[in-house]
Amino acid sequence: MSYGKYLLVWVWLIALLAAGTFVSSLPISKTAIVLLILAVSMVKTGLVGLFYMHLKFERLVPIWVVALSPFLLVGLAVLLVLFGLALA
Amino acid sequence: METSEATSTGIPSAKLGMWLFLASEVMFFTGLLGAYIVLRAGAAHWPHPGEELNITTAAINTFILLTSSMTMALAVGAVHIKDLGKLRFFLLLTIVLGTAFLCVKGYEYSLKFAHGHLPGTGIFWDCYFTLTGIHGLHVLLGIFANIWLLALTFRKDFLKVLGHRIEVSGLYWHFVDVVWIFLFPLVYLL
Repeated sequence: MSYGKYLLVWVWLIALLAAGTFVSSLPISKTAIVLLILAVSMVKTGLVGLFYMHLKFERLVPIWVVALSPFLLVGLAVLLVLFGLALA
Repeated sequence: METSEATSTGIPSAKLGMWLFLASEVMFFTGLLGAYIVLRAGAAHWPHPGEELNITTAAINTFILLTSSMTMALAVGAVHIKDLGKLRFFLLLTIVLGTAFLCVKGYEYSLKFAHGHLPGTGIFWDCYFTLTGIHGLHVLLGIFANIWLLALTFRKDFLKVLGHRIEVSGLYWHFVDVVWIFLFPLVYLL
């Protein structure tokens, strides 16, 4: 990857940081703010993972499995916590 | 990128080991995150964003850490093109930015301590110090690893034998950045 592309990813990351911070001050519902900010965080994570951790260029399947499987478990764990809170 | 030895999987052992370690780290932080959600949901009072914590200071710190991720990626890129000078420059820059992040965090902590906000003075502060403190320790560990690697670059055979360690350290550094990408909004913005 060229230096220019690394810089371009950084520009996107900073723009998304600004966008996430701005969204938090919008006069919209708290749920909408949470969803928007988490979406922005996931896009930022995708950019770091794909380009800075070089997953975009990774051809070895085991690396992808090890890299992605914890995030599925994170999603499951957070859903279970939220489900538990809803029942409480 | 050359590695010290070939493996049957085709994946350098250090790289696979780091990915497995990061997978365990994801689960570690998920435990903390789950506890944070439950404690926050059960708290009688939780400060509004910006009420107790300075969002601007945290945003500047996020900017610093995101920039350090770019310099770390550039250091890995320098290994690929076998440019030792650029490798040292970007590695040093990453160390400086990581240290700057911890200095800002230390400044933030000192302001809280001055106002009597310490761990054990309320569930909000317990969560704040636990989440940011454990993340800060990870940053510190990454800085030490990069300082050690910077010292190793002065070995004559570094690029040939140990160059892949920059990529492994880079994976860790980017992971620490990813953790902060979620901690910043969770602790400061929401």
